Amino acid sequence: MCERYVESVRHSHELGIQIIEAREQSVRAVMPWQERLVGNPDTNMIHGGAIFAFLDQLGGLANALRVFPTFEITPTIDFRIDHLRAPTPGAAIIGEAECYRLSEHVAFVRLEAWAEGAEEPIATGMATYMRMKVPNAGTVVAP
Amino acid sequence: MKNIKQWVEDCRSGKETYQSLIDRVPYARFLGIQVVSRGEELYFILPKKDTNVGNPTLPALHGGAVAGFMEQAALLFILLEMGEPRIPKTIDLTVDYLRAGHVRDTFVECSITRLGRRVANVHISAWQVRKEEPIAIARAHFLLSEENSDSE
Repeated sequence: MCERYVESVRHSHELGIQIIEAREQSVRAVMPWQERLVGNPDTNMIHGGAIFAFLDQLGGLANALRVFPTFEITPTIDFRIDHLRAPTPGAAIIGEAECYRLSEHVAFVRLEAWAEGAEEPIATGMATYMRMKVPNAGTVVAP
Repeated sequence: MKNIKQWVEDCRSGKETYQSLIDRVPYARFLGIQVVSRGEELYFILPKKDTNVGNPTLPALHGGAVAGFMEQAALLFILLEMGEPRIPKTIDLTVDYLRAGHVRDTFVECSITRLGRRVANVHISAWQVRKEEPIAIARAHFLLSEENSDSE
């Protein structure tokens, strides 16, 4: 389900996002290093914007897992990212998102990102998403 | 290789375009960001592009692409506001999504709330139809200190 979801989102497909593990309300994925995602050509580090987009996508996936088997569109209301340290140049980024609270209209998500092979997180995020129960929305990700 | 200070000077003197400066950033090229200058006033444009589409059913721009555009625009904006240009580092970025971003050209306007010696506070607004109706607004902090000079 997660893989079909990511494939249906063109920008996420371009980011190269691959799912590692999907649980009941959380997801872990990897965004491989790509030259075109580099923010500073002198250091080869991935741009903060790409990490933001990656985590925002994972937030949407965590929501989808939480409401599964129904499907909802969950546009982002608010998303905050803190860049804790610089990512390792040339390293893939691992991301994790957890939908830790689902209220009637709003999904609350915590997010974290690491450079592959490193222990300490490079970024944390907090986000809220609006739950939109659109009929037939699931046709995009249905098998 | 020309350093960043030299690039900024060349842009100001008209020897280089601001577009060539932002084109040095691979991620900015990936999103397709354009910069137009009128004197030293900069206008940032994210032209409609299929690879920036998120929700395929609406269709709408990917919120992450809009955020990346806002962040990169702010980075260049601050860089050009600094007397001693250094690449700013993003500390945090908070985006409020106000309206769906349609698949059409998007514009960004930045304003610096405070430009300190170490930290810049910036407000960023992204719009498509009219400036008064932004699709997203953001607040961000950027670290301006040079590497290893945080303790000064």
